[in-house]
Amino acid sequence: MNTFFAVAIGLVASYLGYTQYAKRIDRDVIQADEKRMTPARLYTDGVDFVPTSRNVLFGYHFKSIAAAGPIVGAITAANLWGWVPAIVWLVLGVCFIGWVSDYSAIMLSIRNEGHSLSAIAHRLIAPRTRIILFVFIFFYLLLIGGAFGGILADVMNAQSQAPLGIIVLMAMALLLGQMLYRWHMSLIPATLIAVGVTTAAILAGPASASFFKDTLGGGINSLTGGAPLVQYFDPTVADPNTGLVVGAERQILPSFVFWALFILAFCYFGSVLPIWRWAQPVVYIGFWVTMVAMLLGLGGAALAIFVKPEVGVLKLAAFKGWDAGVGGAIQTIWPMLFVTIACGAISGWHALFGSVGTARQIEYETDALPVGGGSMFMEFLLGLLALLAVSTGGGGGAGAFANGLAGFMNVFGIPVEYGRALAFVAFTVIVLVVTQLVFRVMRVTLAEWLGESIPALRNIHVSTLVSLALALFLILTGTWIYLWQLFGGANQLMASLSLLVVTLWLVSIGRNAVWVGIPMLFMYVTTVAANVVTAYNLYITVFVSNVGREGRMIPTIGSALMIVMALLLVGAALVIAYDGWQAYRRFRTQPAIPVAAGAS
Amino acid sequence: MGLRTALGEFLYGMTGYEFARQASHMRHELGMAMMLLSFGDMVGLPILPPMYALRLLPHVMLDIEPWKRQLLRERFALDNEEFDLIEM
Repeated sequence: MNTFFAVAIGLVASYLGYTQYAKRIDRDVIQADEKRMTPARLYTDGVDFVPTSRNVLFGYHFKSIAAAGPIVGAITAANLWGWVPAIVWLVLGVCFIGWVSDYSAIMLSIRNEGHSLSAIAHRLIAPRTRIILFVFIFFYLLLIGGAFGGILADVMNAQSQAPLGIIVLMAMALLLGQMLYRWHMSLIPATLIAVGVTTAAILAGPASASFFKDTLGGGINSLTGGAPLVQYFDPTVADPNTGLVVGAERQILPSFVFWALFILAFCYFGSVLPIWRWAQPVVYIGFWVTMVAMLLGLGGAALAIFVKPEVGVLKLAAFKGWDAGVGGAIQTIWPMLFVTIACGAISGWHALFGSVGTARQIEYETDALPVGGGSMFMEFLLGLLALLAVSTGGGGGAGAFANGLAGFMNVFGIPVEYGRALAFVAFTVIVLVVTQLVFRVMRVTLAEWLGESIPALRNIHVSTLVSLALALFLILTGTWIYLWQLFGGANQLMASLSLLVVTLWLVSIGRNAVWVGIPMLFMYVTTVAANVVTAYNLYITVFVSNVGREGRMIPTIGSALMIVMALLLVGAALVIAYDGWQAYRRFRTQPAIPVAAGAS
Repeated sequence: MGLRTALGEFLYGMTGYEFARQASHMRHELGMAMMLLSFGDMVGLPILPPMYALRLLPHVMLDIEPWKRQLLRERFALDNEEFDLIEM
């Protein structure tokens, strides 16, 4: 199997899913009408409600949803179950569920005066749904902070060619914000300076590797004489020779903790500084770095069969088995694959963001499908690229991804060494730009949720530090795969909630809701099951194997905390299911709201 | 619309558009502060209108309804936290 055929399958599946299914639903069920006023045109205020061209909005929405989620998920799933199950879920997920979630959340908001998903859920289901959504969001953010923070610290510690690019990125971000907002420079020269210098630093990364690895890393580790700070058993480590999941004892060295603190310091600035000073420039520069890497990668993956066929051969096992669990853990394809690959197939975050941001900028109702649904189909391609990169790269995790992407870039003549450096930094940056903003939203959520009872949390520094401390604790537990799967569970539960709200809305107006209802039921049952399984896995493989052992307090307490989170999410999901069923019965017994011109 | 124009707009949406939005948000915040200080009594705030409020009124006449709607609109707690930047 060659990457060319995988890319072709992806493109054909996307085309068929969009033209044969999505367009039919948009035309016949939702009946999008370009003559109907949208909130952007009705409530234009030049700030939130701004009618925007569909092409601009497509680029904006796609950039907002396409990031680390589809990449990390695809890498993880391929390592656990092989590339075939991963590609099947990516294709089927995006064609029948992913675009449905993104598109329907946007249309829901458009037909309800631009209200957010939270506000509509409050009205359609029950007031407490809004609170439950807050709970989902907070834990979702905490889990992603822990999972991504752990990945980043691991990459920065192990891949010593990466730190220089990140440090220069920080400096250039500060400069870019200053150039644009204070010195009023034009965007193009400012971009050339900031992105150019950052790219040069990335390419100089290999030359700085020995400093970061030996001088800095070695010096920090010598503080404890090379002894680890934390030890734990990771049940998801794969044998580098066979690729099978066997589990292994892992050690957290002082250098890992140093980089974890470095990443969290980065995130602290992202949380407390004005958005234009730090976070936005970081995202912008990071976008260019990753976009270049991804475009070269996708092009190389498609052309490898013609130029360098050996690069496009999938080395990873196609199918590793129905259950990748070890040490008593359950890692069956159902339900775990469906939360391991979240974004790329379906994501609740997209629905949340789409209903708040994008829906208020849609100029004509007929733009909703290409913007919302189209962006999701494009994000699927990003997940596919990550899957192909890790499947051709050999090895495991981020290393395999970087090897594979470097191979694809080599199709265009870029030396593998530089390609690897660019791929590692692109991976690091794409994860970092998400992580730094996650804590910004976390502090707001924390303040909103607990600010009344604990006024100190209303202080941005206090709430940020509390969020960072919680994430650091999760990072040090080392069980990032479970963090990732719990995050996927929280993300998909938000997607289920979004689909539930859309289902109830369609029922309330007497429209066909099957195309939303069935995906909603599937995602709901699957993610609840996945959260229960993850809680079980944490108990059996982490808590039980570490409790009572000397020096294992962090993994023990961390796993207990995560089990509680998993069960909280399950409990919240059951409450939503009950309220949703009550709401469904209400809408089924009352007459459908007549659909008048200009109304929903 | 030609392919070139569409591609240009798509690239603009991925790159410069967010800066334009951020700049308009920043300008809007200043404008909101000005409107509140000058015409806050229109939305029930106990603000004594400044002596120049009547002189400004003809210039902001068309903006008053959108301003009221924007100010008094029900908000999701995370509305202002730049969701668009949080790529997931």
